[in-house]
Amino acid sequence: MTEAAEHEEYDVVIAGAGVNGALIAKHLTHAGFRVLVLEAGPGSAWSLDGYSRHLDHFYAAASKGPESPWPPAVAAPQPDTADIRSGAGYFVQSGPDKYGSSYTRAQGGSTLHWLGVCLRMLPEDFELRSRFGVGHDWPLRYGDLEPYYGRAEHEIGVAADVADQAHHGIEFPDGYDYPMRRIPLSFSDQVLADTIDGMRVTLEGESIALQVRSYPAGRNSVPRGAYQPVGAVDADVDRHDMITHLGERCAGNTSCTPICPIEAKYNAGKTLAQADRGKLRVLAQAVVSKVSVDPVSGMVDGIEYQRYADPASPRHTVHTARGRVYVLAAHAVENAKILLASGLGGDHSLIGKGLIDHPALYAWGLSPVPVGAYRGPLSTAGIEDLRAGAFRARHAAFRFDIGNDGWRATTGGPDSSVVDAVTKQGLHGTKLRAHLAATLPRHVRFSLAVEQLRSEANAVTIDPRHVDAMGNPRPVISYHIDDYTTGGMAAAAEVARQVFRQAGIEDCTDPEAGGWFPSVRRDGEVFRYHGMGHFGGTHVMGHRAGESVVDTHQRSWEHRNLYVVGSGSFPTMGTSNPTLTMAALALRTAEHMTEALAARQPIRQGEPSGF
Amino acid sequence: MENRIDRFVRLSALLTGFAQLHLLGTGMAETYLRATDAALPAGVLDELLAAGSPPSAGSASPGGPALPGAAARPGVSALAGGTDPEAAAGQAILGDAKLGPVARTLILLWYRGAWTALPQEWHSAYGAAPRDVDHVVSAEAYQAGLQWDAAGAHPAGARQQGYGAWASPPAALETESAPGTTAVRLPRQAGAPTVTEGARS
Repeated sequence: MTEAAEHEEYDVVIAGAGVNGALIAKHLTHAGFRVLVLEAGPGSAWSLDGYSRHLDHFYAAASKGPESPWPPAVAAPQPDTADIRSGAGYFVQSGPDKYGSSYTRAQGGSTLHWLGVCLRMLPEDFELRSRFGVGHDWPLRYGDLEPYYGRAEHEIGVAADVADQAHHGIEFPDGYDYPMRRIPLSFSDQVLADTIDGMRVTLEGESIALQVRSYPAGRNSVPRGAYQPVGAVDADVDRHDMITHLGERCAGNTSCTPICPIEAKYNAGKTLAQADRGKLRVLAQAVVSKVSVDPVSGMVDGIEYQRYADPASPRHTVHTARGRVYVLAAHAVENAKILLASGLGGDHSLIGKGLIDHPALYAWGLSPVPVGAYRGPLSTAGIEDLRAGAFRARHAAFRFDIGNDGWRATTGGPDSSVVDAVTKQGLHGTKLRAHLAATLPRHVRFSLAVEQLRSEANAVTIDPRHVDAMGNPRPVISYHIDDYTTGGMAAAAEVARQVFRQAGIEDCTDPEAGGWFPSVRRDGEVFRYHGMGHFGGTHVMGHRAGESVVDTHQRSWEHRNLYVVGSGSFPTMGTSNPTLTMAALALRTAEHMTEALAARQPIRQGEPSGF
Repeated sequence: MENRIDRFVRLSALLTGFAQLHLLGTGMAETYLRATDAALPAGVLDELLAAGSPPSAGSASPGGPALPGAAARPGVSALAGGTDPEAAAGQAILGDAKLGPVARTLILLWYRGAWTALPQEWHSAYGAAPRDVDHVVSAEAYQAGLQWDAAGAHPAGARQQGYGAWASPPAALETESAPGTTAVRLPRQAGAPTVTEGARS
């Protein structure tokens, strides 16, 4: 295979074309630097034709899970939620608990199938140790990230109203508002709000009032001011043609996960399309296998990658890309895997250690009145009130996501309800239709996402006995859900029961009847949980080299021309979805890199220059 | 004279509770007829169609003579004459050991756009066809599933209702004339109703 990229010199080589890699590539190319992006998976989602094929794949898939439109290449395998039960697949789960989340290795990354929730972390989330005596503090405070949150909201294109979001100590600068107006609340949200707004629950003696609240979403709505929504991307990788269609508003496809058919929801391909294409080279189907380090200087001197032509085959050729600065933006798990496979770190390294997620419970029920389930974005509102409070000294915080997708995620509805009506209840004809019309629109679903604290025992490691078809290591996952989190689960499940009672919703929560989920126990109570796809903590950031892998600019302490970026840098994750926070961090990192590259000198006295 | 596809659609209307015109409007009738033929041992679908035929059509045996098995059953024809054809079809077909499971699979096919494999006991008794395995018939079939219409909703990822439509109450159950007639069902307004933001404030 001809490999022009191998003979070219770049300022920056980035592994990963997800949200982190795309944001950094966009800003560095516009600053005049030449950037190479290596993406392990296929680049097919970057053209309209390719994207349409993914959509058809989803329509025809028997199981419509998060991964259904995005089949992996043989060379770049990925975890699949269906694997958790079978024990097969890409991850090697060494227990004791199952890690419930998945991600996608493709150009665009997991933003191809994210829900789009863009909550900022709370000020208190950055100071968990100082304020509550648990977990860790970040080396950054909310105020440090605030300007980057604002920029990230404009990069992603977030629809929300500041008036809804200024709570729990979150502050916005005077005159700031989100680039687009909030997405209308679903009818279901409105019905629920009518019955539960203002009800109080008690956590650890603290009385907290609940409210159904619109959350910020990376979906196109009605723009504010001069903001121009970004639409579907149609790129020709070989030529430099790039069309971004006018940003179509969310049409309520009810399939944000696993695929937005009209690209009204943000995906990282939109950001990559906004890079200076004259300075950018994107190589899809290029699996980064190793970071090469000069043993004398400790600086990275190349990134080895495996290029494959056929996604159905592991046949590949090996190449090396060189630049002045290197960025691993491949995913929290993949970043750790690449560093470990490169032999970096050593015995006391924190690389891979501290893996977190938001283990989440489902609660589902039958509303006394139709709420119009199975319509609209998958979710438009949540209950955010239990994300903060003094109870965090005792157990995990949590947030409720209110679904608009009926029982799809929990039991496999509406199909499961139809099958039940036909085969178990023996209905047919107009009686069947009337039964479904009377019940399906009343389906209600909550996801209760629970915070998890960092523990070094929860880790990504590699083992030469477990490799993929390319000979690259498969991630070995050690994972345990501790009492702090199961305490949050117990509280969340109790609040869900109280909310159902208040709203007159018949509680149908029965994990045995639904899909299969892994379980944890607490005091005899069994909690079935699923992952939220919120990986974090595998290359933690900190103030000092011995206590962290990267500094506050996500720059490796050991290899000063290497940046390791993404939610792997998070010391804690609070209860917010990580994408917005990692986008803010990526923008802060891009700003720092621009200054460092322009200066062509070490950032601090006494450090070797390699830029 | 009624051809095979007409008989298939007429029986499907009795089984699903959706009017024939609605079923024809999905554009899936011929695809489903083919998918059903492919997933059943030879002759079973014709047996089912014969059992579901009304007296006038049944006695005239359009589309070929009724199979011996079907003739021996108290089909819809025997029960007709003032009886609700839907209830009659249910009694004649759904309670039948051979045809009942096939009819239920046909209902699920229309509602879900996916074929559901018949039970193992059924295979042992009546034979198995290679395509009798769980499968989504096609991308189009998934989108045409009646379950979404029954819910006043739309298939996830398709036939979306438009920006902000989700803020309005769901469509009330639309009344249709008795299945088997040709009542015209107007589609829901495709455009989104005006959204009144702040309706809850």
